[in-house]
Amino acid sequence: MISKNTVKKILNLLLKSGGDFADIFIQSRISNNLRLDDNKIENVSSGYEIGCGLRLIYNDSTYYAFIDSIDKDRLIESAKVVKSAINASKKVNILNLENRKTNYRTRIFNYPNLTEPEIKAGYLLAANDAARETSTKIVQVTSVINDIQEHDIIANSEGFYSENKSVKTFMAANVIAMESGEIRTGYRSYALTRGMEIFLRKKPEDIAKEAAQIAVKMLEAVNAPAGTMPVIIGPGFGGVIFHEACGHSLEADAVVKDASVFKGKIGKKIASECVNAIDDASLKYHWGSYKFDGEGYPSKRNLLIENGVLLSYLTDYKSAKKLDIDISGNARRQSYRDIPYPRMSNTFIDSGKEDPKDIIKSVDYGIYAKEFAGGQVDPATGDFVFGISEGYIVKNGTLCEPIKGATLIGNGPEVLKKIVMVANNLQFSPGFCGKNGQSIANEVGQPTILVSSITVGGTEI
Amino acid sequence: MSGNLNLLDKNGLIKKAEKISLLFNGRKIDEFEIYISASINNEIEVYNKSVESLSHSDTSGVGIRIFKNKKAGYAWINSFEENKIKDCIDKAVLNANAADADEFNGIPKENESRYAFNENIKNYLFSKDFHKYSVDEKINLLKDIEEASKKKDKRIIGVDSLSYSDTLYETVILNSLGLKRSLLQTSSFLFLNLIARENEDTSTGFSFAYGRDPGGFNLESIAEEAVKRSTMLLGARKIKSKSSAIILDPITASQFLSVIASAITADSVQKGKSLFKGKINEKIFDIDLNIYDDGTMENGFSSKPFDAEGANKGKTRVFEKGILKTYLYDCYTARKDNELSTGNASRASYRMPPSVGISNFYIEPGKINTDEIISKIDDGFYIIDVIGMHSGANPVSGDLSVGAKGILIKNGSMSEPVKEVTIATDILNFCKKIEHVGNDLRFFPSGGFVGSPSIVIRDIAISGN
Repeated sequence: MISKNTVKKILNLLLKSGGDFADIFIQSRISNNLRLDDNKIENVSSGYEIGCGLRLIYNDSTYYAFIDSIDKDRLIESAKVVKSAINASKKVNILNLENRKTNYRTRIFNYPNLTEPEIKAGYLLAANDAARETSTKIVQVTSVINDIQEHDIIANSEGFYSENKSVKTFMAANVIAMESGEIRTGYRSYALTRGMEIFLRKKPEDIAKEAAQIAVKMLEAVNAPAGTMPVIIGPGFGGVIFHEACGHSLEADAVVKDASVFKGKIGKKIASECVNAIDDASLKYHWGSYKFDGEGYPSKRNLLIENGVLLSYLTDYKSAKKLDIDISGNARRQSYRDIPYPRMSNTFIDSGKEDPKDIIKSVDYGIYAKEFAGGQVDPATGDFVFGISEGYIVKNGTLCEPIKGATLIGNGPEVLKKIVMVANNLQFSPGFCGKNGQSIANEVGQPTILVSSITVGGTEI
Repeated sequence: MSGNLNLLDKNGLIKKAEKISLLFNGRKIDEFEIYISASINNEIEVYNKSVESLSHSDTSGVGIRIFKNKKAGYAWINSFEENKIKDCIDKAVLNANAADADEFNGIPKENESRYAFNENIKNYLFSKDFHKYSVDEKINLLKDIEEASKKKDKRIIGVDSLSYSDTLYETVILNSLGLKRSLLQTSSFLFLNLIARENEDTSTGFSFAYGRDPGGFNLESIAEEAVKRSTMLLGARKIKSKSSAIILDPITASQFLSVIASAITADSVQKGKSLFKGKINEKIFDIDLNIYDDGTMENGFSSKPFDAEGANKGKTRVFEKGILKTYLYDCYTARKDNELSTGNASRASYRMPPSVGISNFYIEPGKINTDEIISKIDDGFYIIDVIGMHSGANPVSGDLSVGAKGILIKNGSMSEPVKEVTIATDILNFCKKIEHVGNDLRFFPSGGFVGSPSIVIRDIAISGN
């Protein structure tokens, strides 16, 4: 896309008025979105973009500019604008750009951008049929296939040059079921950092069918109980509880601003002994994985919590420097338009020893929260809320009727200490995470866990 | 690093659109639409008396929508190079081939708008003074707000987020039916979130301001509000589960209203995804509440003379005296219901095709002062923060269950702060039980702009211990 020499020239120009650090992020991206709704392929859209973000860091300040171009003259003009913002005594000069190494290697078999839109439309129509065949109670199916093909070049003033090529494919189905005036929804998504071959492992029909089954099952739902009780959180997407209640507070920018409940807690016990938590951006083909992060640092596995003890935060260049800790390779950005921040990648509670069946057997009265409609947390306080989209009452060690309208509400650090059992069935689930106005691909994960008590918001008091 | 107003001259963009329209000559398509947007954006964040980040961008792109045999295709690109635009048109045509035909597809005709063209509103969408504020002035405004906030209360330990952003935005829309419209907008937005701490208890609270330029931003009132919201919940505890009246402050009330807004678009109704389906002319609210979507109000931040597909915008009475009168339409959904477009086609950028969305959607305020309403409540819960609105509210089924923080009201006055409770109901029940609305209408950005006064709802389940 652009020569190494030009990149070096731009970096040196960025640092001409001084500064601590500069980087350049060049991106070209092709995206395709197909949407089926109301029995029809209603929207097929494609986008092509190329652009560049220039960043200069001096002391605690970040100066950023981006342009929709990789034209050399426009880059020079933009770099001049950025450098004019400061006048620093510290000078850095980049003499050489060395290719950054990584062990993360993947192979793409079937590039989605080269796949005819008709083929993807066929997948969505098949998914639609499969969902509707599940039950006569299905009244609506919405399904999407989105893919992104991307090429990034990231170089910085420390003399590193990284090149990233990646392909991501995402499919989701949202199904509505209706019976005697009651309406329930079911949702399933499937996504990997690879090409159209993901549908050889799991068929679009099966994803839609699973969503349909949830919607139909939830039609039988009774009003959720309200109050404080033991809660079993299911594997896979249940990991959103850790993502929201703990993960965001481990992002080091929150720690720097004293907006994290985990500030000053490294080496301290913050969770039950049975909790081990990991962020691993180098899990092959996982939805939240990458070769290099948004600053060009190689992805790696970071042990966050070991036997309940906090070991590390998720950092980018700026926060690592400020806290004088290691760079964890978690700087992420939505696109060249955005400044990178410390973010999670694939974040999960690791497998424990228990049999998931034994966990259910151990509960006299409580709820089993299997799927969530998302969540929200205030990282400064750790207060969180999760909406339960698929949940059941547990009585005398058995799963009973499904519940509707339930929410889990609590405080992250408190819940971490109340995790009393961790099963051996680790699963993952893909999604998107929003922060500072940027949405990025994230994966959550966990085995089945038991929390001794959480407030359940329901309608039955 | 400030934007220069001269960089964007609208004739330049219109000419670009006209040039692109020539590239459709000889193409076997029925209709096309070219949507160009260009913007210059500045963002500043301040933390601890220094600039945390300063960013600048000058960006533009084009979205191409085509119709062929009643099939729709879309493609976009952030470049104006002719060969790239040609590829983009090719891609849109290719995409249309994969879509299903729909008799209601197509670009809006002039007689398909419910409202007359309100050109006058154009004058309210930008400030001539926009470029008069220097970057240093904006930085100093943020620094002053940070300092003022810390001075107001010892319990304020710092800023979680303090940012200012402004955008100079130009849009051009041109279609094969001869429509050619353009628009210039400016906007300034400020957001402050403070962290307060007392005896190991931490709480946050925010405030915000917006305008066509930063001239009207009142630093004292922004700081005051965030300080109040962050400190008033310190020491909050969980309470026992109970049912009582709840009072939502305008910010919280507008978050609830945004759930209603998403269920009132014709698109969600026609696809069976709205609890308001089949409820036209039904009384939804017990009280005589009026709710409008006003796309052309002078001080409305989502106001424009025309929508994202060029149809005229106007003032739509959605609920009148508590009765549902109409859904919100773009051209496609209007044709399907044999209605006219209410000018509610919207899109966040050229990177997406239009879809139905709100403009300035608000509850008409009442006459009573909120303090007066509170003074008459024996047992209630004044809510100033809800969390999990996106996950806890389902506009299809109507289920509603969210986390809430606020202050208990006992015998007409504020008593102890409360947190970690949830309120659960369903949306129709919630609407029915609204008893009073205050006179303190306030708008909040949420998709479009959603506005509400304080509202009182009787008999809602609050679950805690």
